[in-house]
Amino acid sequence: MDLSTAVKVSASGLRAQSLRMRVIAENLANADSTAPTAGGQPYRRRVASFKADLDRASGAETVKVQSIQGDKTAFQRSYQPGSPAADAQGYVLKPNVNTMVEAADMKAAQRSYEANLNAIEAAKSLTMRTIDLLK
Amino acid sequence: MSIGALDAAAAYGRALGVGKTGGAGIDIGKSTPVGGAGAAGGFGGMVESMVGNAATSMRAAESASAKQVAGKGDLIDVVTAMGAAETALDTVVAVRDRMVAAYSDIMRMQI
Repeated sequence: MDLSTAVKVSASGLRAQSLRMRVIAENLANADSTAPTAGGQPYRRRVASFKADLDRASGAETVKVQSIQGDKTAFQRSYQPGSPAADAQGYVLKPNVNTMVEAADMKAAQRSYEANLNAIEAAKSLTMRTIDLLK
Repeated sequence: MSIGALDAAAAYGRALGVGKTGGAGIDIGKSTPVGGAGAAGGFGGMVESMVGNAATSMRAAESASAKQVAGKGDLIDVVTAMGAAETALDTVVAVRDRMVAAYSDIMRMQI
């Protein structure tokens, strides 16, 4: 039945968005993670990218996370000679995480999750109303 | 789903044609021309398979929620499995109510 397929597709959206949410949470949590060794690389921001995935059983296009890749933008540098992660010149590399960008991305993930929830709710209520026709 | 008062009336007519008396011989089967012989074939078989399907999906929902409680499952799986089970059960109940209503309509009929 197509309504149950719609629920399945929306559920794949929920799964994808919750994984995106997890990646954002990792970025936010590691916004201050510096390198463990002097002059090393700090945490690199990660981004989840999605792709359409054909569900052969129903012929519907579900969504799934294609990959979680590192963000290639440059790290921030700050002068902290006392830090254990500082290089010979006293500079520490900071992660390329911008909390403002993460907050906006989180809002987008949240809205997308809510949209999928609404789609599930609509499909479910249509199914129930169809069954109610029998009563 | 093509079960309605018309089917019930047809079954009633068939039972009358066979010449049985009372409600015991009335065959509320699908509109296949089984006559009096294939007693519970249609409706009974249909309800049985529908209840079987509903039970299967409820078992799936139960195992999904058990996994979730144990901390190994996926919440989204639980929600979708529960939804499927609820739909299946509601369908069975609606069809059963409809059939029982048709049957009691026949039983109330003047002979």
